[in-house]
Amino acid sequence: MAGGAGEAGARAVSPPPLRGLQLVQQGAEARLYRGQFLGRAAVVKLRFPKRYRHPALEERLSRRRTAQEARSLLRCRRAGISAPVVYFVDYVSNCIYLEDIVESTTVRDYITSVQQSGKDTNNLFLLAEKIGEVLARMHDEDLIHGDLTTSNMLLRPPVEELDLVLIDFGLSFMSGLPEDKGVDLYVLERAFLSTHPNTDTLFEALLKKYSTTSKKSSLVIKKLDEVRLRGRKRSMVG
Amino acid sequence: MQHFTHQLELFPDCSVTLVLFNDVKNAVALRKKAMEGSIDGALINPAMIVDPLQILVATNKAVHLHRIGKMKTRTLNAEIIFNLSPNNNISDALKKFGISDNDSAVLIVLIEDKEKTVNLESIISQVEGQQVSLAELHKITDIAKVKKMYRLTPQEEKIGTLLDGIICRMSTKDIA
Repeated sequence: MAGGAGEAGARAVSPPPLRGLQLVQQGAEARLYRGQFLGRAAVVKLRFPKRYRHPALEERLSRRRTAQEARSLLRCRRAGISAPVVYFVDYVSNCIYLEDIVESTTVRDYITSVQQSGKDTNNLFLLAEKIGEVLARMHDEDLIHGDLTTSNMLLRPPVEELDLVLIDFGLSFMSGLPEDKGVDLYVLERAFLSTHPNTDTLFEALLKKYSTTSKKSSLVIKKLDEVRLRGRKRSMVG
Repeated sequence: MQHFTHQLELFPDCSVTLVLFNDVKNAVALRKKAMEGSIDGALINPAMIVDPLQILVATNKAVHLHRIGKMKTRTLNAEIIFNLSPNNNISDALKKFGISDNDSAVLIVLIEDKEKTVNLESIISQVEGQQVSLAELHKITDIAKVKKMYRLTPQEEKIGTLLDGIICRMSTKDIA
């Protein structure tokens, strides 16, 4: 099926060089396709040109983000953090060809379904701890994800095993600063609590596990507290 | 006998054929022929290969770079061999992943596209050895040597296969 399917109403862009792949998602930043690549189930992330950007900036930015994403995925794997395997990077069209985590469930969908069914709620605490642990290991590698949400975390089937895979490293970067790690956690906190109602204790469990897993956590949590005070609709008095 | 062919998804006019040989007696002559160009294929040391996908990833990247004129080496065949290496040292890659004079097993990678057809019979007849199916590859692979070459971390081995680690390194080595 041509990659053009499902793009009704979208601005005319140059035809994707991705024949036989199905468009899965259109984001602000990139388009996601699914299909076979070299005999494997693959996902292709295409950073399409943004016409509103100056062309020189566009080229550099897209390439930098593509390279950064590939680099971060490798770094994750080297540190034993589950992230998709990179099959090929095309720096001409700024496409990454990645392992498709087949039949995975996003953590977001999992939490929602468990809350709705009311069954296995204990698993949610285990999941929160698992996430805390993985993020701690990631931050200990000085890798900042940059866009932590429960939609950017996948669970391989069977879901109960809580086999977590991190995805979407498009905004990732390297940093040892507790501030950056604190902000990374804050982004997750805001996304978590706004997407999943009544999960304060869950997130607390996540942070607790993070603290016990990471060697550098105390400074990070301190920064997280500071960032929370800085957030939107917060009084900066005193 | 079973050779392995795959049509590259990104370059539909291009197909890749892998042929594996054991008990090869004329590695020296084959190397010479490859260098002269009388055999138009990449001659690879199969002890360093764990799966045909490893070759496909290297080949896909090579064809891509060849088509945009951005190869790091001088020929498509050399580029395929170079892409197998986890590092950016060309001569080291050709030495470790290409065949040596006393090798008894050889894996030949042949590319066919609009401009070039491949005469499989002709290639096979030039090899003084036994053609075997790609399914026999695992018997020839030297896992210890492969692990040493690609240097997977112990943590990495827990979250994926050796092949996964190899492919990641191959595909990201230019920006790692």
